[in-house]
Amino acid sequence: MEPATGIRLDYNHQLSLREFPYIIRWRDDRCKRCGNCTAVCPVKAIEPTVKVKRVVQSEGPIPTPTTTRGITHVIEQVTDMERYCTGCGTCTLVCPNEAIEPEFNPQNKFLHYKNKGGEGYKRGGRRNDPSISTLDRLKFTRISMLTDPALDAGRHEFRIRTLLGRILPPDELPLKSENGKLVVDRESKRFIPPVREIYPIIIGSMSVGALSPPMWEGLAMGVAYLNEVEEMPVVMCTGEGGVPPRLLKSKYLKYFIIQIASGYFGWDEIIHSLPLMTEDPAGVEIKYGQGAKPGDGGLLMAQKVIKLIAQIRGVPQYIDLASPPTHQTKYSIEESVMKMIQSMSMAWGFRVPVFPKISGTKTARAVLNNLARNPYAAALSIDGEDGGTGAAYNVSLDKMGHPIASNIRECYLDLVRQGKQNELPLIAAGGIGKKGNLAANAAALIMLGASAVAVGKYIMQSTADCFGYENNRCNLCNTGKCPRGITTQDPKLYRRLDSDKVAERLVEVFKAADVELRKIFAPMGRSTELPIGMSDGLSVNDKAIAERLEISYAC
Amino acid sequence: MRAKKKSKGRSQKKNPPSPPFAKGGHGGIMELQTVTIYGNVDVERVPSRILEEHIQQAVRDGARMLNIITDGQHGIGGRIWPRGETVRIIVEGPVGQRLGSMGMSGTEIIVKGSSSDDIGWLNCGAKITVLGDVTNGAFNAAAQGTLYVQGSGGARCDTMTKHNPRFDPPQSWYFRDVGDSFAEFKAGGISVVCGVNPRNPDNILGYRPCVGMVGGTIYFRGPIQGYSERDVKLLDLTPQDWEWLKTNMKPFLEAIDRISYYNELTRSPGDWKKLIAYTPQEKRTRKWFKMPLTEFRKNNWEKEVGAGGIFAEYLDHELTILPYITTGKERRNRPIWSNEKYAPPCAYACPTHIPTHKRTTLIRQGKLQEALELVLQYSPLPATVCGEICPNLCMQSCTRGHIDTPLNIDKLGSLSLDTPLLKKGDPTGRTIAIIGGGPAGMSVAWQLALKGHTISLYEASDKLGGKIELCIPRERLPHKILEKEISRFNELGIDLHLNTRIDKNKFSEIYKTHEMVVIACGAHQPIKITFPGSEDIISAYDFLKDINLGKKLDLKDKKVVIIGAGNVGMDVASESFNLGAESVIALDIQKPAAFGKELEIAKAKGTEIIWPKLTERYDKKERKIFFQDGTSLDADFVVISIGNAPLLDFLQPGIHIESGWIAVNDNYQTSDSKVYAIGDVTGLGLVTNAIGQGRLVAEYIHYQLMQAPYSPEIKQVIPYEKIKTEYYDLCRLDSFIPEKDAERCMSCATCRDCRMCEVVCYWDAISRVVYENGSYEYIVDDDKCTGCGFCAGVCPCGVWEMVENI
Repeated sequence: MEPATGIRLDYNHQLSLREFPYIIRWRDDRCKRCGNCTAVCPVKAIEPTVKVKRVVQSEGPIPTPTTTRGITHVIEQVTDMERYCTGCGTCTLVCPNEAIEPEFNPQNKFLHYKNKGGEGYKRGGRRNDPSISTLDRLKFTRISMLTDPALDAGRHEFRIRTLLGRILPPDELPLKSENGKLVVDRESKRFIPPVREIYPIIIGSMSVGALSPPMWEGLAMGVAYLNEVEEMPVVMCTGEGGVPPRLLKSKYLKYFIIQIASGYFGWDEIIHSLPLMTEDPAGVEIKYGQGAKPGDGGLLMAQKVIKLIAQIRGVPQYIDLASPPTHQTKYSIEESVMKMIQSMSMAWGFRVPVFPKISGTKTARAVLNNLARNPYAAALSIDGEDGGTGAAYNVSLDKMGHPIASNIRECYLDLVRQGKQNELPLIAAGGIGKKGNLAANAAALIMLGASAVAVGKYIMQSTADCFGYENNRCNLCNTGKCPRGITTQDPKLYRRLDSDKVAERLVEVFKAADVELRKIFAPMGRSTELPIGMSDGLSVNDKAIAERLEISYAC
Repeated sequence: MRAKKKSKGRSQKKNPPSPPFAKGGHGGIMELQTVTIYGNVDVERVPSRILEEHIQQAVRDGARMLNIITDGQHGIGGRIWPRGETVRIIVEGPVGQRLGSMGMSGTEIIVKGSSSDDIGWLNCGAKITVLGDVTNGAFNAAAQGTLYVQGSGGARCDTMTKHNPRFDPPQSWYFRDVGDSFAEFKAGGISVVCGVNPRNPDNILGYRPCVGMVGGTIYFRGPIQGYSERDVKLLDLTPQDWEWLKTNMKPFLEAIDRISYYNELTRSPGDWKKLIAYTPQEKRTRKWFKMPLTEFRKNNWEKEVGAGGIFAEYLDHELTILPYITTGKERRNRPIWSNEKYAPPCAYACPTHIPTHKRTTLIRQGKLQEALELVLQYSPLPATVCGEICPNLCMQSCTRGHIDTPLNIDKLGSLSLDTPLLKKGDPTGRTIAIIGGGPAGMSVAWQLALKGHTISLYEASDKLGGKIELCIPRERLPHKILEKEISRFNELGIDLHLNTRIDKNKFSEIYKTHEMVVIACGAHQPIKITFPGSEDIISAYDFLKDINLGKKLDLKDKKVVIIGAGNVGMDVASESFNLGAESVIALDIQKPAAFGKELEIAKAKGTEIIWPKLTERYDKKERKIFFQDGTSLDADFVVISIGNAPLLDFLQPGIHIESGWIAVNDNYQTSDSKVYAIGDVTGLGLVTNAIGQGRLVAEYIHYQLMQAPYSPEIKQVIPYEKIKTEYYDLCRLDSFIPEKDAERCMSCATCRDCRMCEVVCYWDAISRVVYENGSYEYIVDDDKCTGCGFCAGVCPCGVWEMVENI
């Protein structure tokens, strides 16, 4: 309809600020109008503008109205849903006067409106649920007191390590006695699966492309440092997006798990580099699903496909790069397992552990049982619903997926029933360290049955100060406008990030996690082996959780 | 029972007495009562508790020299309070745990052989000498006193030793070596490990000593294999250390009966080392990293993966870190002073694009006359059209209307009525024929003549003005205004051919004798629809023309029906009332298009508008008009006002016609590149459209004739949101004063030179520069500008815009 005759429309169909997820609190009395906030706002949610103030006064003994009028310059939040304030707080960061701050608005009706053009809301980050996860409710309640010797994490030396790769039971190992010593019988035709001794916290798959050059390199360099200087065998999964040839050819390759996913990006370049490699990678992860967004594929937007990304991924510049939700030629577990695991093993002469990653699902045990029968399967990685992603539909992030705790538990107990719990390692991921409790969450998952855990979002938050939070804070990863320079290919933004600092923080994070893991394991009396599946050490103050996880209830 | 010792010459009884201790006599000058206490009486072991009671009782009874023949009892020799005297205890036989634990100063214990675990636990001053080995946990938590060990220590010796400042620090001396985990959490005291004939010749301090050690000193002599590096540091002895060691070595060696080693052990300070704890201050300032990351990058990472890191080969920018607040090329956004880049809403809405904002700028500068002249560059008829008959699209879109009332642009147009003709350009000798002397023809003629071209204008009637002259009711346009402006037009001195109707031959002649032909003959053929009785109705064109030509129709008390309720229909309605009509009803088949003054006047006079109505027939005798929906109206007089079509019988075939109108491209060029067409002949429009097209086609023709590339200035309109209306207070003027109105103008998209941007910029990045020709510009110092957008945010005119800095 047209506007009524002679009337100019004003607020019709304009959204009120109350519908927005974050409301900018700006303090006129503190602001010096330097423009730092508006210069950095990644989404242009705030802008300088003009306000008029009109004051009517009456100072005489009888009503003597006088009017004073003044105009002032202010910082204003726009009410355009396309420029909604994400609450990242970069404005607060750069404000010299603490004059501006976004405030979460729990009454927001953001999702009612964030569907312009009929397109579902897409974002980065992880499930927008700030409540306490199951992992954070688990407590370590079996403390070694006078019944058995307590260890002292500071005083007792012990190594926290795990094994990545299939472990043959002793009777299946081709061993023979030679001069009174057990040695491997090299003439036996038996396949001995490759196994790596690694640190049980793996840096989860985040691709070149999803991450900016300094972020990816910072993590990679930190991993190299942890291995070479700190002697902690931390490994990092590359994500799907190719691997820089300089790294492929370096001796550091052995600290990296290379990922192959449904887009197969960068794999021709990796294959071209095979003859030039001086080391084998730590492993190969075949990604079938991502806990954050089951059933949702990946899309690297054309504007992010700059020269760097294009060359490493082996594609032309400035085209959209889609990773479909499924591998296009593989429609069954059998096909996936047979084809992919064997082919990837073959690429490095069966010297590298190859394992699939699936998103957390009720059907995880079906996959597990298939893998249990496959001699080449090195592990199963399960990524729970609280994992992160660079880009996905909000509905996939918020509503799709399975929590990791019960998923890993039922898989482990399934292995126990088959007597194979020490043979096929389970890797758990998704929401570890969500509230900052990296070591505790990792230890809980290990005691539920995981051999290792993979962590992504926590690493971004702790090493590069990612603003993301479960109140949908920031979550701009998909837009390429990451204010921290973590998930962007825009040099103006990613040059804010110092890869040396990222590496340094990574080292600190892992050293601290190591201290904390010791602080958990030592009082429980474990110092030699990782307490995988030692669920008698865990309790929870919720009967239903206790029952589901088959752990004790304590209150 | 094992060997017995004499104390001060007193011999003991050969057989264990009953009670199980024997009092000895006094020896020498000192009152030194010697007592022997047995740990086994009658082949029965005395419990530790009873033996302890016996010892305490003996001391209370005055014994100062105790020989204890033990049988594995624990805790012997502790907690003895001799009140200033010395109590000597010689222990023989198997020793239980924690010998001398909680020993007090004044207590001296000699163990003739090895001892069991935790000897000297929580020692508070006892001197304990062991003529053999001590096992695990020796001297644990000792706070004072000494421990002399002739042999080796077991594991975890000297852990948790302390130094209470009220007392001397505890000392422990090991002649040989010590076991693993030595001195854990040691907080004070001195340990000496001499390393003579060690049990582990490769490592005299055992595995991983000093974990958690925070105080005290360990002197040692001999090889070690590591220590807790985060807790203690390994140093050479200072002269003071050496002096202390030499001095205190002698009594130790004497006590353990190894004085013969004195020279060997004090041969050189270089044989010795010491371990001391890092101070809390040192720990706090300790570097967390074994190697700084920058060093790792340089010496390890980049050596392995290549200079610049793993991505360097793909990056074409400097490999440096940027701050969040950046300037120059690193800014995310940059401001541009886009003065006049956009059209203000008034100029954009005006088909002629008359720049009213420039007129108000001139007026604000005190140049009213220049402002009035400016409009003549755009239109020959500002007073007639802008001032009287135009619906003033400019005013409808004026931003000022958002806060109070639009600028009085119509009145500003009227002000130019008496403005003299502009100076013509030098003659170019180029010839252009214009067919039609209506607003379109006059506009193009005006523009081209001003540029110096030679114009021939052909008009069928005897007057210029076209439909303005013929069809617009005089009450809407005082005739003298039009006459005045036509007279100014005539001053141009163009070759004017009135009363010249163009036919094929004439057109052909014109076409041949001119370089360009512009057809602006309008649409003067009323459109009629045929239905029964349609021959009895008159067209609006003829009706209005007759009135303006002075033919008076009498409509007194007549009921008038007008088919077509557009603006022309409204003019017909008004004129019908002027001619005495009783009622006027205007019909339309769709929502009537009438608007503006025409509608207002007609409605004020009583015109009724009805729609939708499709006429079926008109019965002149019955004076009724019938409609397809079965209804009818009384109608004494019916006018049809559904538009006019052009008469194009003079055209040659090369000029394409579409549905009765001359087809033109964007530049008003017909299919014959020499012939242009504008105004109603190309489709019906407002007078202002005709004038606008005249100006635009003139521009195009001028470029063609002068063989210059034509690049029309196409400006987008500035969005209203960019104009900061907040700066302006409500202001409703009672009367039109140009200077006042010019102040009301918000100068949309045009800098009003207020310096707001320059002043607001925190970084002092904006400055105003003036050029020699008097023009000015605001410029940005890119090295200061952070791209914050304050200039754009505060600019009253929306001149500054922020763009991506790419």
